[in-house]
Amino acid sequence: MMEFVEKLRSGELLPSEHVQEILEKIEELDRRLNAFITVDAEGALRRARELDRLVREGRANGLLFGLAVAVKDNIAVEGLRLTCASKMLESYVSPFSATVVERVVEQGGIIVGKTNMDEFACGSSGETSYFGPTRNPWDEERVPGGSSSGSAVAVAAGMADIALGSDTGGSIRNPAAFTGVYGLKPTYNLVSRYGLVDLAMSLDTIGPLSPDAEGLALVMEAVSGPDGKDAGVRRKLNFLAALSSFDPEKVRVGWGEGFLEGAEDPIKRHFERFLNVLDSVGAEVVELKVPPMEKVWPLYYLIMYPEFASAMQRYTGLTYGHRAEGNDIYEAIARARGEALGKEVKRRIVLGTYLSMEKYERSFHELGIRLRRGLTAEIKRIFDKVDFLASPTTPFLPFRLGERVEDPVKMYASDSLTVLANLTGIPAVNVPFGREGKLPVGMQLMGRWFEDDRLVALANVLGGEG
Amino acid sequence: MKIGFEIHVQLRTRSKLFCTCPTSYWDAEPNTNVCPVCLGLPGSKPYPVNKEAVKKALLVALALGMEVKEKVVFLRKHYFYPDLPSGYQRTSTPLAVNGSLAGVRIREIHVEEDPGRYEPREGLVDFNRSGVPLIEIVTEPDMESIDEAERFLRALHQLLTYLGVVLNPSVVFRIDANISLSGGERVEIKNINTIEGVRKALSYEVIRQKRLLEAGKKVTRETRHWDDARGVTVSLRVKETEEDYRYMPDPDIPPLVITSDMIEEARRALPELPWEREERYVSMGIDRTKAHALVVEKELADFFEEKLGEIDPKFWADFLADRLRGELNYRSLLFRDVEDKKEDIFLIARAWFEGRITKEMAVGLLRKLLDGESINVEEEVRKGVAVDVEDVVREVIGDLPEVVKDYRSGKKNAINRLVGEVMKRTKGRADARRVKELLVSLLEDNNT
Repeated sequence: MMEFVEKLRSGELLPSEHVQEILEKIEELDRRLNAFITVDAEGALRRARELDRLVREGRANGLLFGLAVAVKDNIAVEGLRLTCASKMLESYVSPFSATVVERVVEQGGIIVGKTNMDEFACGSSGETSYFGPTRNPWDEERVPGGSSSGSAVAVAAGMADIALGSDTGGSIRNPAAFTGVYGLKPTYNLVSRYGLVDLAMSLDTIGPLSPDAEGLALVMEAVSGPDGKDAGVRRKLNFLAALSSFDPEKVRVGWGEGFLEGAEDPIKRHFERFLNVLDSVGAEVVELKVPPMEKVWPLYYLIMYPEFASAMQRYTGLTYGHRAEGNDIYEAIARARGEALGKEVKRRIVLGTYLSMEKYERSFHELGIRLRRGLTAEIKRIFDKVDFLASPTTPFLPFRLGERVEDPVKMYASDSLTVLANLTGIPAVNVPFGREGKLPVGMQLMGRWFEDDRLVALANVLGGEG
Repeated sequence: MKIGFEIHVQLRTRSKLFCTCPTSYWDAEPNTNVCPVCLGLPGSKPYPVNKEAVKKALLVALALGMEVKEKVVFLRKHYFYPDLPSGYQRTSTPLAVNGSLAGVRIREIHVEEDPGRYEPREGLVDFNRSGVPLIEIVTEPDMESIDEAERFLRALHQLLTYLGVVLNPSVVFRIDANISLSGGERVEIKNINTIEGVRKALSYEVIRQKRLLEAGKKVTRETRHWDDARGVTVSLRVKETEEDYRYMPDPDIPPLVITSDMIEEARRALPELPWEREERYVSMGIDRTKAHALVVEKELADFFEEKLGEIDPKFWADFLADRLRGELNYRSLLFRDVEDKKEDIFLIARAWFEGRITKEMAVGLLRKLLDGESINVEEEVRKGVAVDVEDVVREVIGDLPEVVKDYRSGKKNAINRLVGEVMKRTKGRADARRVKELLVSLLEDNNT
């Protein structure tokens, strides 16, 4: 990716020519794949021509200069729709940009459009969008994973160079694994969430998807670091320096049986191969006792549902979004929500409301918070022994459209290996690792808090090894 | 009877609690002091909490002698209402606990954000107020009469003014009162905006509850709304239908850590409190009752001190505490309502003190001034000095040597004849007390 940016900076390929090609690709493929909700052809070309001028004037700067960037449609871009793939926000246009978007643009990135997703990021297959499901480019009868389905597909199919997604329980890594691209869920509070529509605020992260690990490093270098609009973000890392200085021979990578519970056979086979590759690049691979993921995973729901229900309170249709009439405001609100929110979103609101009600002593949500603290302490102890943890990204391969969407328990199993990173806040990356037939397989690496730079560097070393 | 309060005070800060919009909601066009944060737009997040608001809240906590908490967590309180853009209000865990004022225990203070303003009749919302920092002061139900409750509120009002923490002087606080009579359960009355309103609402509620109890009925736990226009309380909801607010820590706001440095800084910034000021005045030789009357209104006490170098302190204290406050009370005015006329008020007091106008003239001028008549005080005072009192006094001493002789030989009553003569010659425009003082000082001086 770095080489490609250099090509754009030098004028060997003009940004406008490149964007034109990208737009043609979208035109050609997206009718079937449905990765985009909004394509901003005009805005992208205008911006590209500005960058052309900078090239001609010899002032072409920026880490992401001339790259076509796709942005998940739950991240605000000023002047573009911010639908969250919901009827509720079908025609809502954001009056401001997310901090990450401002930073991408400052570094020369060109926003080409807003990508499809599961409605309000509620899903792991890209099927719950009000704008219809996104399809997997490697097998269009199969799902691309979710919820950052469109972002992953845009990168996988060459409709964008890189993309921004969001990850609350696996929503970047899961579709990255299903479509064969790199995807990073950064450490919580490394990247500003200002401008990201909430799913579950204590778990949400914005991260990059890219065809290579370098692309992850470039985007992270551009977007991470303190922001006066997000009180939690205080640190900054140097991703590019880590890429060149990282030495895999000095690291220990741990794994455990607990990471394989529920994993299907082909996944287990590829994981074994993955451990061998880690060993072959010089890393010390150690087996250790890890918390069984099948026990960890339900904890995610005790946290996520109540936070989601809280976040969704603002969608009433009274000041923006889908509006309904009623005899009083409460009826108007109930109708607007009834009409404009999808089934999975409603399911989560109902469960989240129940789990956080005071009449149940808030026991479920508070229990979740308590258990999460214990889990985080346990992971901290594990990271005293190893530098990284390895697991498959998903327990199974991309499944057929419609196969799991009616069965939440089966659907939720998609996240069983990814939620650990969100619950504890650690960074995790999907490394595309070979194929099963024509279907991509993804492996996950997790690192210590705020060691995202080294994590991406390790993923970079493994690049192409699959 | 047991009465307690939850009192909301908007804090005087330049910007809102979680964004940089100005707080001056009352004199801006509707929905102009707004941004994505205080409108709760999709994707917006609270900025780091406004430090100035925390500092002002700490001032109140310290002035009330409270224990400050080390860690404060912002919670989300969920409910649907058009003025609440995110569907939840951010409200903190206690910032401080266990204080007291005027014999009433203060249970806790916490920080909140104000919602916008909704006009149900027109169906319009103004979000200018949304996100304005508030503190909620919660008392124990320690007040046993309406008078006691009123005394407490006046003391609190006075304290808040002294601390300079109030955002909008015309809405110092919004009050939820709770009251229970023996034999009945606790009833909460919401939406009272003034101390007079509290008195009316509580009086209404006492009568309503007494009647119920006397008729052998029950007073059940409920929340009622004070309708100021109609002068009645109306039931809002009973216990069974209490809303479930699903309080949860707001994941977007890191817990606020109150360091000992922050507390020290607030302590240093603490201004002189009303009771401290009163003591200082007493030590200056001012009567306790006058000192107390002066400090009731901070603006009045400030005015008192502003002019101290130019006039006799005791005379000045008497003038403000008795004369001026008496005239203000008669007109249901506060000093701050007439503060723009303070220089004229001082002119009148000084002219009187110096004997250039009589007490009667001074009072007459003061009344005209407070009644809003357009008078030129400087001009009026000058007219009062048409006669130079001292000249007349010297004239009288020269013209009545017999009387002077009587006085000097020990007939002290003779002075009254001299005073009478001066008053006659000045046609009553001189101040008798001042004339007497002048006469005494001139007659005691043997060179005259």
